[in-house]
Amino acid sequence: MTIDPITLEVLWNRLLSVANEQQVSLMRTAFSTIVRESQDLACGVFDSRGNMIAQSLTGTPGHINPMATSVRHILKEYPPETLSEGDVLITNDPWMTAGQLNDFTVLTPVFRKGKIVGYFGNLCHAADVGGRSLSGESHEVYEEGIRIPITKLFVKGEPNSELLKFIRANVRTPDETVGDLYAQTSCNAVGARSLLQMMDEFGLESIDPLADAIIERSERAMRDAIRALPKGSHEHEVWSDGFEEPIKIKVKVTVAEEDIYIDFAGSSPQSRRGINVVMNYTHGYASFAMKAVVSPDVPHNEGSFRPVHVSAPEGSILNCKEPAAVGARHLIGHFIPSAIFGALSKALPDKVIAGSADPIWLIMWRGTWPDSDETFMSALFQVGGMGARPNKDGLNTTGFPSGVAGVPAEVIETLSPMVQYQRVLRTDSGGPGKYRGGLGQATSFGYRGNKLFGVSAMADRTRFQAQGLAGGKPGALGEYNSGGKPLQPKAVLWFEPDTIVNLNPAGGGGYGNPFERPIELVLNDVVNGYVSIEGAERDYGVVVRYKGREDQLVRMPEHYEVDYEATARLRGLS
Amino acid sequence: MQERFRVGVDIGGTFTDLIMIDSATGAFTIGKVLTTPNDPSQAIETVLRDTLEQAGASPQEVQQIIHGTTLVTNAMIERKGARTALLTTQGFRDSIEIGRENRYDLYDLMLEQPRPLVPRHLRFDVPQRMYADGSRLRELDTEFVERLARELAENGIEAVAIAFLHSFTNPADEQAARDAVLRAAPQLRVSISSEVTPEIREFERASTTIANVYVQERVERYLRELEQRLQRMGVNGKLYLMLSSGGIGTVDTATRFPIRLLESGPAAGALAATAYGKAAGYANLLSFDMGGTTAKISVIDQGQPLIANSFEVDRIYRFKKGSGLPISTPVIEMIEIGTGGGSIARVDSLGLLKVGPDSAGSVPGPVCYGRGGTQPTVTDADLVLGYLDPRYFLGGKMALDLEGARKAIQEQIADKLGVSLEEAAWGIHQIANENMANAARVHALERGKDPHRFPLFAFGGAGPVHAYRIALSLGVPAMLAPMGAGVMSAVGFLSAPLAFDFVRSWRARLDRIDWERANALLAEMEREGEALLTDSGVPKEQISHRRSADMRYVGQGHEIRVPLPAGRLDASNVDELKRSFEQVYRELYERLGPPVALEIINWRVVSSAPSPELKLKLENQGGGDAASALKGSRLAYFPEAHGYVDTPIYDRYRLAPGASFEGPAIVEERESTVIVGPGALCKIDEQWNLVVDLSALQTGASH
Repeated sequence: MTIDPITLEVLWNRLLSVANEQQVSLMRTAFSTIVRESQDLACGVFDSRGNMIAQSLTGTPGHINPMATSVRHILKEYPPETLSEGDVLITNDPWMTAGQLNDFTVLTPVFRKGKIVGYFGNLCHAADVGGRSLSGESHEVYEEGIRIPITKLFVKGEPNSELLKFIRANVRTPDETVGDLYAQTSCNAVGARSLLQMMDEFGLESIDPLADAIIERSERAMRDAIRALPKGSHEHEVWSDGFEEPIKIKVKVTVAEEDIYIDFAGSSPQSRRGINVVMNYTHGYASFAMKAVVSPDVPHNEGSFRPVHVSAPEGSILNCKEPAAVGARHLIGHFIPSAIFGALSKALPDKVIAGSADPIWLIMWRGTWPDSDETFMSALFQVGGMGARPNKDGLNTTGFPSGVAGVPAEVIETLSPMVQYQRVLRTDSGGPGKYRGGLGQATSFGYRGNKLFGVSAMADRTRFQAQGLAGGKPGALGEYNSGGKPLQPKAVLWFEPDTIVNLNPAGGGGYGNPFERPIELVLNDVVNGYVSIEGAERDYGVVVRYKGREDQLVRMPEHYEVDYEATARLRGLS
Repeated sequence: MQERFRVGVDIGGTFTDLIMIDSATGAFTIGKVLTTPNDPSQAIETVLRDTLEQAGASPQEVQQIIHGTTLVTNAMIERKGARTALLTTQGFRDSIEIGRENRYDLYDLMLEQPRPLVPRHLRFDVPQRMYADGSRLRELDTEFVERLARELAENGIEAVAIAFLHSFTNPADEQAARDAVLRAAPQLRVSISSEVTPEIREFERASTTIANVYVQERVERYLRELEQRLQRMGVNGKLYLMLSSGGIGTVDTATRFPIRLLESGPAAGALAATAYGKAAGYANLLSFDMGGTTAKISVIDQGQPLIANSFEVDRIYRFKKGSGLPISTPVIEMIEIGTGGGSIARVDSLGLLKVGPDSAGSVPGPVCYGRGGTQPTVTDADLVLGYLDPRYFLGGKMALDLEGARKAIQEQIADKLGVSLEEAAWGIHQIANENMANAARVHALERGKDPHRFPLFAFGGAGPVHAYRIALSLGVPAMLAPMGAGVMSAVGFLSAPLAFDFVRSWRARLDRIDWERANALLAEMEREGEALLTDSGVPKEQISHRRSADMRYVGQGHEIRVPLPAGRLDASNVDELKRSFEQVYRELYERLGPPVALEIINWRVVSSAPSPELKLKLENQGGGDAASALKGSRLAYFPEAHGYVDTPIYDRYRLAPGASFEGPAIVEERESTVIVGPGALCKIDEQWNLVVDLSALQTGASH
């Protein structure tokens, strides 16, 4: 069956819409803040052979591609002939899915006239899976929590209550963890309802020919875009704090005729701690980065993965072997796009952005409620600044490469006894440049109770700054401390009840020579406190004076003036 | 002199529309003039004078005027509000800039975030702090606030928004800070978040509070001017404002909470659909309004439009969620899609046909307008398909260039795709329809409604041309096209009841509710509603209250709205509430959640006066049955017939109630055309709606 281009467009749009219905249902029925507030998830539609043909609008790159890969593993274990209507499959095996026990993939076959016509899959981050609680501390994956091999979550429509009992007994947040699994099941069912309606409406017996057409077009578009790029090989390396020792991520990007090869040979070997990345996850972020550069408009599916080939030596930090610990794998994996952009910056200066704060900080607070033995666990994401772009400033406090959202202070404080004391932009944290890097933020937290409370901050970029491009300067380092004393970013720490903990994610790198930033933009940055008066002079060569009173609370633009003569001298123009 | 005319007036971007109804007879008069952007009340005076003259009536006979305006939206988009400062809890002045920290487009490296209305140098930390339970961690420093207020006033700041953490639980500090500001600088306008929108999430609440005070001066000045102008004209009838929630409010409410006027024009379209639907016996509808650049869809559920509590203004990418400033205020839930008559069709890099969201607008407009447009649009495709009459567009006021449209589609679409002209035109029509149907489907689901059960109610210039196919794609049972789609919004104003919305956040587990407290909470809201309504002149015995609760499984973050019974509630209502919740939940999400308790998060009351009875007196303009309304035929494209078919054309004005006919058919009126496919049964109902029964056609019909 060949599909004419008009029908293809109609059906393709419909599939994208179905995937969005699925995501909407997942977020609205989810229990954990990680899914419903932060959208740490992916949803997708698969054909009867397990090819991903549509994904929902938002989500996170670390989930989308790994979800597609996990479907292959799941179907190998449970081929279609072993599945019945109402069955729902599940796994959180890091090597099968998104590289961390907290990420559960749930897959539902769609039956029509007794035959499987496709699958709905989704992957999201569970609030807790037991073990030492999410951190980089473990030495082996066994310490990190319950591991569920590919198995059935629902059998012919009935919950697999034995499995749910095991899960509930092993996690700190049984209601949230199991509640989210129900949400993951519901949203697949909603997707299936719409897919079946579409097949009835258009009289489709199978969606596979449609899938072939979608995949072929997407692959061709990606290949066409690659063909237009200058050919050649480019190398770059970036550094993560690591657990104890810094970790190197080395990349070689080769643009061939119509394929791209991304190889991570030369990166650090796998770590003894829980910061190792499985190949699925490496592949997810590498292909995301290429797609954002090469063809951001082509819908993402099986076809758009095909021309991007990713490799990393087995046993290295980006392709770890069992039983490596992997809990904080995102801290390393999130560096991948910046590494690739750095490699491509000479060849494609107009298409890549400067280094960003990169790893998202996933902060897990734990302890007991005041005057009670009831425990709490609160997970939240925090981001720093995005790297400056070739034609505009980087975005302040905007997550990149991950796409997840933060959690409002009011929600944190309602669901836990934690108190957030501040959430402000960090002056001077954006890397100076003609286009300034995005600012990081400064946050502080305390606890209302009278016992010890714990945190696993999973922070990075406290030793290596986000790099600038084309003469732009690096962004400020991230900071994790209490009373000025630095804390170990990847361990689980326990504090006395009155301790204040500061978490300040990094700034993004700048783009272009900061001395070329227009003076009035620097002045505006000073007026608004994005850049200090000292920073303007030091980093941008712009001398700004504050003319108002020292005790003045309201400082308007007219209270500042630029010393143009001094500025010209500093900028070497006189 | 007797006050007997009710007047609805809608100021749109281009036209100011007015409808005036004689409440005794139902006879109505319509007026339309160009909007006067510099002094919008000028156009109101002009159109009101014209209409009164037309009806031979005097200003003293006007009983009430209900008014909708886009003033608030425009002030925000144009950034023409007051110079505003923000006061927040110490440490949180950047909440409105930090936002949700995510990107609304995963792959776009060059995206922009919305720019807050208050720049950073006008955002101030105030020493003050409360915990989530409303208890105090740090006292408010009122001296600091007074000093700050004086400095703000000295520096030409006009307005102050105050948004402290957890103020929706305990508003005391916000109130004290407002008092302090006004003591020190009485000329400043102040809005506090606990009054504007007492709901959790500091970013959205602050953003809404800022917007409220940002537009307040402009709105107040405008409304006072309008009141004076009406008085000078001799109009004694009371002026009311259309609210975005679908209720109407007094000038006082509108002045205190101008943010509630946001999007009141489009809201009226949905209200009109509600009123027409009710009259025609349809309590559930999808209201579908398609114009030149966009289409708007909203769900009418059990005789009420759905109300959402969030909205985005001034989006950087008009149709991308997350790219605008969030506003939390009750609004008629509506999805806007970038598909209209002017949407441009093109072949993209994948070799696929795309339609919209870029639009040729009215200038240069579609190719067939002959005003310089060169890119083929949806209207061009509709013309090529025979759905529009090149000689009877806008009732014949404008001739369309059929050849131009054919040529543009042939060269820019058909040749590139390797298909025939007709297939290309049909493709444009169909893809536009699918875009709208897809958006409607996701939207309904997001609101927790099954889209398949809602008849489609189509209006706007292009709505009835496309509604038939959208209805088939959605799988709905019927499609309705009202008579006189052009004045739908203004009609909506007149069907809205005077109403006030109340919400209290109080989280309580269903099995452990303190029912005394719940009853007190509900009674308090109902008393407030009653007081406001009686103040507005509504007799006490006519006031009704509608209660609902936002419920969820304990631990979830999103609620579904479940109606609450009237009267005193107690533990015996728990089972009924649980059943209602589970029914709604299962319809939405196919499966129930895990076996955990239920909880109520928000308690809501809508207090309203009775909806005014809307009787439009329509008159038969001769003929009546289908045969006598037949005015000719032309070739129109229907894929079921594999090509062009000679299709009968009916004159809408000569189809009286009871007339019936079968598709394919074209039904023409001045501002719009209804297209009906082969085999569908059409009937004119008692309210003069054209009703198309689709129940027999649903499976596989659109393909």
